[in-house]
Amino acid sequence: MADWAGRAWPPETADLGLLLLRAAETAAIALVGTTLAAVLALATCTMAARNLTPSAFVRLPTRWLLNTLRGIDSFVFAILFVAAVGLGPFAGVLGVALHTWGSMAKLFAETIEDVPAGPLDAVRLTGASRVKLVSYALVPDVLPGLSSIGLYMLEFNVRTSTVLGIVGAGGIGLELKNSLDLLNFPRLLTVIVIILLMVTAVDQLSSRLRRRLG
Amino acid sequence: MSRLGSAHAIRIQGLGHTYPGHSAPALRDVSFEVARGEVVAVLGPSGAGKTTLFRCLTQLIAFEQGLVELAGRRLGELHGRELSLARREVGLIFQQFNLVRRLTAEQNVLAGRLGRVPAWRVVLRRFEPSDRALAQASLARVGLSDQARQRADRLSGGQQQRVAIARVLAQQSALVLADEPVSSLDPASASDVLDTLRGVARERGITVLSSLHQVDLAIAFADRIVGLRDGRVVVDAPTSGFGDDDYAIIFGRPRRTANVPPGQATPA
Repeated sequence: MADWAGRAWPPETADLGLLLLRAAETAAIALVGTTLAAVLALATCTMAARNLTPSAFVRLPTRWLLNTLRGIDSFVFAILFVAAVGLGPFAGVLGVALHTWGSMAKLFAETIEDVPAGPLDAVRLTGASRVKLVSYALVPDVLPGLSSIGLYMLEFNVRTSTVLGIVGAGGIGLELKNSLDLLNFPRLLTVIVIILLMVTAVDQLSSRLRRRLG
Repeated sequence: MSRLGSAHAIRIQGLGHTYPGHSAPALRDVSFEVARGEVVAVLGPSGAGKTTLFRCLTQLIAFEQGLVELAGRRLGELHGRELSLARREVGLIFQQFNLVRRLTAEQNVLAGRLGRVPAWRVVLRRFEPSDRALAQASLARVGLSDQARQRADRLSGGQQQRVAIARVLAQQSALVLADEPVSSLDPASASDVLDTLRGVARERGITVLSSLHQVDLAIAFADRIVGLRDGRVVVDAPTSGFGDDDYAIIFGRPRRTANVPPGQATPA
């Protein structure tokens, strides 16, 4: 290990531009995947929440679907999608989106179930429809919690996305794998430093935003 | 409308309900009627069935026996959209106020309009000026204009319950059901809230059925008292004729007058 570390110094900066582009691609995969997941999770979470969907006929199948999605890792999804739609970031986005949809919708549903029942009953009993009830009485109550979950998932997905390139699903993981295969340790060091800087920056940003919400 | 055919705002006949897993019924053969514009208190100790009665009237539980008509509509026959339409005619006030805590007082009052406002206006929070004016007037009526932009969870209990009364006013219901509206409040706020509720009922001819467990409050508030004990109606009398014997029947013990310790009352 010490030998490897010694051979990695100084880090190679020859294709820094390409590596930064790949890092941006990684962040984009995480951002687009998480955003897609958030849309899908918002659309499905109320169907998985007991207080808004008392009917087991709708709620349980929704839960099964979400649990299945959550049970398959983004990395595994990415391998499947590389086979299905080909190499590149699109496969990564789909992988991140599907796994995150399951996790996020489950957390959203649990947040919704924690909302006190009284105010929701009161608004429903004014004759408000489900759309009105959710948008007027539920959303203001849960929005800070849901945003916090969304940011956390984004932070998590930036870390996940750094390795998606290893299976050809786009991003900086591809360069990580190439440098390692070629035993180009100075280049590998540059890649690792970029990943660390990116992940730290996103973590910091996200935790600062989440503290504001809380 | 069929509502014109009925002189009664509320008609309850032979209402009975037993909760699953309980041997004793929570309500047994409850029957009484409330005339339009009448203010009636349901009085009883805790466990007498007041909250169960309220939950039957609001259809938060499906009762087992009997017939209930609110504003001429029979409960249990309506579903889906018709049920929503019927619900907006009945205003509700709850023990725990049940305001949406992150909305302002005024937004909570506007919630009373949700049954009548198109969904897109609700989603975008774009209420008609007439709805907003009604909400402001309703808040003014309960004396809370200055708190309009305050978040509901920053208001005192008494203020929250007055916002709930304003919500019912904005809903423009002719019938209001209130479940223990003042039992979470201190005595001063309690009489304040009941005075407000009685005042608006008088002004606008609103029918009110409210459960209460304090006899003094019920006498000051209502035209008539329906006494509930062990799920049965044991007293049904105008407030003017409500006496200590009625109290004893409802609560199972003699009434103690305030300021006079038991045993020191002078014989009549």
